Amino acid sequence: MVFKSLLLYSHSLFVKRGIFEENQTIPKTDEKNAKKMQKDLPKKMQTLIETFDVANVLTEPLTRSIENLLRVSAATMNSEEASVLIRDGDQGDLRFLSAIGKVADKLLNLRVPAGKGIAGFVLSSGQPMAVADVGDEQTFYDEVDRKTGYSTQTILATPLRHNGEIIGVLEYVNRIGEPPFESFTPDEMDNAAMFAEVIASLVNAYESAKLLRDFGSKMLSDKNEPDYIEIRNWLRTLRDSTEHREMMDLAVLLREIAARGDGERQLCRELLESILRFSDTKTETSFLNF
Amino acid sequence: MTINPDFHSSTNTTAFSYFQIDDSWKSRTGKGVSVAVIDSGIDENHPDLKGKIKESVEAKAENKRIIFESSDTGDSAGHGTACAGIIAKIASEAEFYSIKVLGAGGLGDGQAFLAGLEYAIKKRYRVINLSLGTTKPQFFSPLHDLLDRAYQAGCIVVAAANNLPQPSFPSVFSSSLISVIKSAETDPFNFGFHYGEVIELTAPGVNVRTAWLGSGYRNLTGNSFACPHIVGIIAQLLEAYPKLTPFQVKSALYGIAKENQEKHRTEK
Repeated sequence: MVFKSLLLYSHSLFVKRGIFEENQTIPKTDEKNAKKMQKDLPKKMQTLIETFDVANVLTEPLTRSIENLLRVSAATMNSEEASVLIRDGDQGDLRFLSAIGKVADKLLNLRVPAGKGIAGFVLSSGQPMAVADVGDEQTFYDEVDRKTGYSTQTILATPLRHNGEIIGVLEYVNRIGEPPFESFTPDEMDNAAMFAEVIASLVNAYESAKLLRDFGSKMLSDKNEPDYIEIRNWLRTLRDSTEHREMMDLAVLLREIAARGDGERQLCRELLESILRFSDTKTETSFLNF
Repeated sequence: MTINPDFHSSTNTTAFSYFQIDDSWKSRTGKGVSVAVIDSGIDENHPDLKGKIKESVEAKAENKRIIFESSDTGDSAGHGTACAGIIAKIASEAEFYSIKVLGAGGLGDGQAFLAGLEYAIKKRYRVINLSLGTTKPQFFSPLHDLLDRAYQAGCIVVAAANNLPQPSFPSVFSSSLISVIKSAETDPFNFGFHYGEVIELTAPGVNVRTAWLGSGYRNLTGNSFACPHIVGIIAQLLEAYPKLTPFQVKSALYGIAKENQEKHRTEK
């Protein structure tokens, strides 16, 4: 079934490039090509399966590594509740990726809406923060505490940064023992920032592996994979940062153009270079619609 | 030392006598000074802030650009309220203008924050508390531009250090940006000077007790809580000497910080 869809996919590619006409049956002279394609398919499948497996192998242990790091770092901070939140979508929402502590299982996959709470703020500001001494009537982490039944009394939140972008938040909540808890100190904030660096690259690896795995499953799916347009449409639905998606979209577009021939490649290059030159001279800096 | 506001009309001035400050500014309340807080919004119902917020706007995305509309959604995260609370404790009669760029959904982080800064400059708010920042390279250039425009407009921008890209010389001289990092100090008047590429001041930012959502209070630690301390000080300075330019404000703060350093050294 998969072989067939891959064959049809390549066929549709040839149609697009004008090598075949629509509804044209594969001519006899090209039967050799078709046979060759059939022989190549197992190799293509092999590559896809390997990609899929590698991605799988990458994703599973990564979450465990993140968890272990949380445990180790929390211990150095005399805390036993810690979690990693990552961006969910491009609206600035957050979701718990990994957590340790009493309510860890309740936290997993819980969502925090954009800008809400300490985590929401740290995500947008990129500034680490420690907040302490919650009043007993109302916890400031209502969103989450309500769902877990836990009571946040003191919290340290630091941003996870990768390639200049904030990809998530690392949090430590409360201390080992009974309340009242000592607030987190500036030194502990500095320690947390160091752990954040390592955890950020693990989180990024996790996300990339997941992307690869999703892409792999897409290629292996039974559906008739038509062309680049569908890949780009699918990219648009990916849970990822807008910028990243747009870049991947551009990459796919470029690939399509480049595949069409010398003339297209030349024209594309000229256009792109003139865009770069234009961008250099651009003085527009206003984002405001006033 | 006293700042001579009639410097330009006076005939008997030297560089030395021009730039003098005495301690009378410390008793000021920031009356009549506009302070913009570009943040998560401000809870206008908090007892520490009631009646002090003159206007609240929030960012909304429209056709890939940002517009600002009147806001009644208060503070979505608590941070804005905390910062306003710190400023109000130092400059109790300062006029607050809340510019909410967070929690509005559908906005690119850097874009909304820059639009908020642009809005504040267009409105000519005298002091701008900037808690958010950006590390994306494509925003460095617009940010430099905005900081220069703030300088021309007489607006003083105060931001938490390590949050904004370091401007390179000579723009550091034309930019009005003052960056602040936290210290364990508790006295808001005892702020320090930390030499770096950008003018950096240190101010209380460890276990600062201030306003929070739900009319409550919290103990907060972070550079973004040191920042509003300096904003409060600047509001006091501006009430005492309304004609100060951003450059003069920076010089004044530097002078006071150096004095604090000397006092601290001799007290030891």
